[in-house]
Amino acid sequence: MRNLYQEQLHRLNQELIQMGAACEEIIDLAAQSLTAYSDKLEEKTNQVGAVIDESERTIETICLKLLLRQQPVAGDLRQISAAMKMITDMERIGDQAEDIVDLIPKMSGSAEEGPLQKMASAAQTMVTEAVDAYVKQDLALAKKVMGDDDIVDAYFNQVKSDIIAMIAANPGDGEYALDLLMIAKYFERIGDHCTNIAEWVEFSLTGIREECQ
Amino acid sequence: MTSRIFRSIVTVAAVILFVSLLFIMGVLYGYACDVQTMQLKDELSIAAAGTEKAGLSFLEALDAKNYRITWIQPDGTVKFDTHAQAGQMENHLQREEIQQALGYGSGSAVRKSDTLLQKRMYEAKRLSDGSVLRISASQKTLIVLLVGMLHPVCVVALLAIILSAILAHRVSCKIVEPLNQLDLEHPLENNTYEELSPLLVRIQQQHKEISAQMQALRQKNDELEQITANMQEGLVLLDRNGVVLSINPAARKLFHADNDCVGTTFLRVERKSEMTAAVEAAFRDGLHELKTQRKGRVYQFLFSRITSGEETVGLVILALDITETENAEQNRREFTANVSHELKTPLQAIIGSAELLENGLVKPEDTQRFIGNIRKEATRLVNLIEDVIRLSHLDEGVEMPKEDVDILDIAEEIAESLRLAAEEKKVTIQVSGQHCTVPGVRGLVFEIVQNLCSNAVKYNVEGGRVDVTVTKRGSSVVLTVADTGIGIPRAHQSRVFERFYRVDKSHSRASGGTGLGLSIVKHAAQYHNADIQLESVLGKGTTIRVVFPA
Repeated sequence: MRNLYQEQLHRLNQELIQMGAACEEIIDLAAQSLTAYSDKLEEKTNQVGAVIDESERTIETICLKLLLRQQPVAGDLRQISAAMKMITDMERIGDQAEDIVDLIPKMSGSAEEGPLQKMASAAQTMVTEAVDAYVKQDLALAKKVMGDDDIVDAYFNQVKSDIIAMIAANPGDGEYALDLLMIAKYFERIGDHCTNIAEWVEFSLTGIREECQ
Repeated sequence: MTSRIFRSIVTVAAVILFVSLLFIMGVLYGYACDVQTMQLKDELSIAAAGTEKAGLSFLEALDAKNYRITWIQPDGTVKFDTHAQAGQMENHLQREEIQQALGYGSGSAVRKSDTLLQKRMYEAKRLSDGSVLRISASQKTLIVLLVGMLHPVCVVALLAIILSAILAHRVSCKIVEPLNQLDLEHPLENNTYEELSPLLVRIQQQHKEISAQMQALRQKNDELEQITANMQEGLVLLDRNGVVLSINPAARKLFHADNDCVGTTFLRVERKSEMTAAVEAAFRDGLHELKTQRKGRVYQFLFSRITSGEETVGLVILALDITETENAEQNRREFTANVSHELKTPLQAIIGSAELLENGLVKPEDTQRFIGNIRKEATRLVNLIEDVIRLSHLDEGVEMPKEDVDILDIAEEIAESLRLAAEEKKVTIQVSGQHCTVPGVRGLVFEIVQNLCSNAVKYNVEGGRVDVTVTKRGSSVVLTVADTGIGIPRAHQSRVFERFYRVDKSHSRASGGTGLGLSIVKHAAQYHNADIQLESVLGKGTTIRVVFPA
């Protein structure tokens, strides 16, 4: 009986890592689309998005089964409840990356090199590190991810002020500016979700849930 | 073991206690019976003597409480009884003791009473008148006796068992203690029961065997580690559940894995979906290959399933860095494509001109120009082929005779030959510096200077300058060709030495280059172990330094 339990916990871990890897892949695709959009990239993004959705459902099922049938306690219970929360954030990351890729072809101009690109790669780093923190059960890395959110937020503000300047200089570009702002907002949200994941990693390791400021 | 010894001791003590109790009671009971019988007999003979003398009055005078006396006539009728009315009693002739007494003078019998709890003893004696006097007393049976003694016996047994339990505990601890204190690491140094020595000797032997085997295993493991540690290729061994059994330093570096990843799932080491899919495919199909980019380098991953009989035991992952091969392959493909293209272009021009001439479509006054075109294109073709041949010579690394070459002399010679072309473009060529000689192949050094200088002229602006200087820096000789030309954009700077690479693809033909010049420079410099440095600012000019080692 306990053997099965261990096996299921192991499988949960594996599925979570794979879902994390899919998140990394999808945000990488989103960042790529930003500089070099192609239909192929969009198709790939949608595929990965579907994989993420499926993973979420699978992990949900595993977690519920574990909770119902095995009545886990202590660390295991924390791990499972953290997993259930984490997949929600991961799924949101996937959705937002898809939204970004959806937006890009509708834009009337392509995003030039600038803070948005830097923001994308900062968000990408956050996703990678958040997943890494889970995979390696690394508390220090989780803390770093929580701190890195400020970097993404700073980029967001920078992008925002750039856009304001752009509209002021060229009011005709309003639509383009709004699309850019949306993309920046999506990246900013991805950063927030990464912070959440890192917090859940911390919770599953220490049992302490960071107070929301 | 302690509890077992304890239990046996207590059990044995209890059993012995009970058996001896029973035995003693049996003996005592028998003894008591005998005593009672004797007493009865004595009393009977006293009563008999009394009765003989005094008759019935003697018996009536007796106050018998503990025993009962009956006087029976020879015909069996009861004449007197101490406990009942004689007339109401039945005939006693058939009673065993009476029969015996009538026959032999005396008799005795023991009969159980109705209740089983008591039994009666009878003693009978024939009197001189032929009547029989009988005395009887009741006696408790063994069971009654036992029940009566149950209480004291239980107390004694309990005490005995407690005592024996305490003792047994002590004894068993004492027996087991040396066993508990056995030093199994050094079995032969123990000084305990002699009976244990075969076991200890055996343990000692097995100790030796195990440590020898461990040693051998460790050695094998170390050998494997040593071999894999120095491998350039990454090697990962997985068990059938995808758990990392071994990972060599190269693979660890490649996957950014830490030391404690051994024993964890491979997903912890590498979670890219293509990799996960490849591992799955390899477990399914036995063999799999994956070519992928990591940190700007191309890696080929080979997955191979390990099977023992029908069963899958694990998986080997071998990672090869194929960046160089891949690049070489790419270059070769590009070179072939470029060469064919470059060779074809002048030929097309020649064929076109020739066809026009053949069909008489060229006006006589233009004939000369067309023939000139054909000759020009043919020369270009020859130049191109010569360049290719030169390059392939350099590629093959044919040893050429080396001599001391004066670079300044060569530079002046080339500047002279380019003077005309330079004047056409209104470019001035200036050669300066000191006479320095380097050991080298004259032809190749000539190629270097020639190509650099002609490029400097070709890609210059009107009124520009080309400065060629030869200086000595330490023990090495530096050839510098600086121009004030159009410059090379930063993005192209790393690629201009590639074969057929051109910064401006549309205007190359106009400038008349083959696209091989800088490639030849690079190879010729490599042949001399010379270092090439390129500095260029777009629109300002380019400076190329070739540093010849002494």
